[in-house]
Amino acid sequence: MKYAYYPGCSLEASAIEYDASARAIFRALGSELVEIPDWNCCGSSPAQATDYLLSLALPARNLALAEAMGLDTVVAPCSACYTTLYRAEEHCRQDPELKAHVTEILAAANLEYEGKVRVRHLLDVVANDFTPEEIQSRVKRSLKGLKVVPYYGCQTVRPFLAYDAPDQPMTMDRVLAALGAEVMPYHLKTRCCSGINITSSKDVGIKLVSDLLVAAEGADCIATVCPLCQMNLDSYQRDVSRHLGREIKIPVIYLTQLMGLAFDLPDKDVLLSKNISPQQPVLDRLGI
Amino acid sequence: MTLEQFNLTSAVRDHDFAETVYPDGHKLFTCIQCGTCTASCPTSYAMDYSPRRLMRMIQLGLYDDVLKSKTFWMCTTCFSCTVRCPRGISITETFLSLKRMATAKGVEKKVDSARFYQTVMDVVRRTGRMHETETMMRWMLNPQVLVGKPLRVLGFAPLALALLRKGKMPLIPHKIEGVDQIQAMFDKAAEIEAREEVAR
Repeated sequence: MKYAYYPGCSLEASAIEYDASARAIFRALGSELVEIPDWNCCGSSPAQATDYLLSLALPARNLALAEAMGLDTVVAPCSACYTTLYRAEEHCRQDPELKAHVTEILAAANLEYEGKVRVRHLLDVVANDFTPEEIQSRVKRSLKGLKVVPYYGCQTVRPFLAYDAPDQPMTMDRVLAALGAEVMPYHLKTRCCSGINITSSKDVGIKLVSDLLVAAEGADCIATVCPLCQMNLDSYQRDVSRHLGREIKIPVIYLTQLMGLAFDLPDKDVLLSKNISPQQPVLDRLGI
Repeated sequence: MTLEQFNLTSAVRDHDFAETVYPDGHKLFTCIQCGTCTASCPTSYAMDYSPRRLMRMIQLGLYDDVLKSKTFWMCTTCFSCTVRCPRGISITETFLSLKRMATAKGVEKKVDSARFYQTVMDVVRRTGRMHETETMMRWMLNPQVLVGKPLRVLGFAPLALALLRKGKMPLIPHKIEGVDQIQAMFDKAAEIEAREEVAR
């Protein structure tokens, strides 16, 4: 199975390990992520907060490019990109007048968007297009004994409710269980990490991240499926420690990296050295 | 914090305000003030009005007070309120609509997140992608952001260094081939918005 792949801007910079591991696990599962040629930034919150038409047209350009590839599914690994692309599809479908405007804007770029392509989160595809048995059959090194907190984040499952529940989703739990990991109960699975607001309101961001990290204490690591969640949980632990008045240190790792470890993929496909939080405790626990 | 009370007799009210909010418009009058949005909101504690109060203020047409509020700028668009609202109102989209109105009115000038959004859009327009390194540099070195908070840049320095050390902060922005298309799209969107009444 081939999927049109929309990496999104973060996966070219702060989240290169997510990009590498995502592509690698699809290959390992006998599938392929084909990058949308010359994709552009989806606009995300900045476009949504400044220009409504552009907030639909920017993602629609990528959907138009995906349609031209002849593929029917766009896979987005970033939850903000996923929601933004999905929103463009949804709003255009609901409002023909709006669709006409988006069509006119894309025509200025000599592109056409029909609305045929379906947008899905990488987690949705991993959990639902492959059975737990298929995933299990690729496991060369079980994650048995590794206590993992599944952190989904907000836009991974909201607001579109396309494949999982908005408060206590289970898709990532299922994948982790198939890898042999011990999935920890976590009541903040979809509580917001503050996203890019941490840049403009750092105090608020640190408080939200702090709540998430404290509730995950006791686990060997936190698994994520969004570059914003990963960035906030992974790289602000020093600020959180200062905020709490005590040290907090917990490995934060992409689900796709955990899959890479379980599939025993080479370092270049897992890129554990790229995470900011030290991953040694995870490797120790797995005896690597 | 003492809650501000509004004198509804003397206040200047725009009774069509709710209608202009996209996409829910008139539906905002169906809000029953249950407060589920506020209870679900991870950042309500940092807002000047809770989401529930702001919804009521929109219903009452308190246009200036709503647009001057910090509330919608603190929204992280996590959509918790939206999926829980018993009236099916998209509070998140409502707040996005308020951000755009405040930006159009120029009342967002002092808001850091608004400046951040604008910085991102400028980079996207020029290169087609959101180059993280350039965006952060441009935003942090923005004189308006620096004024009064010169320590802010230092606060982000450890993160920038860590990312740099990990090879996660490429310094050269990638310009997409279709950057002309992106610019044409920005221009066309502005043209449509100037030409006719469209959802904003």
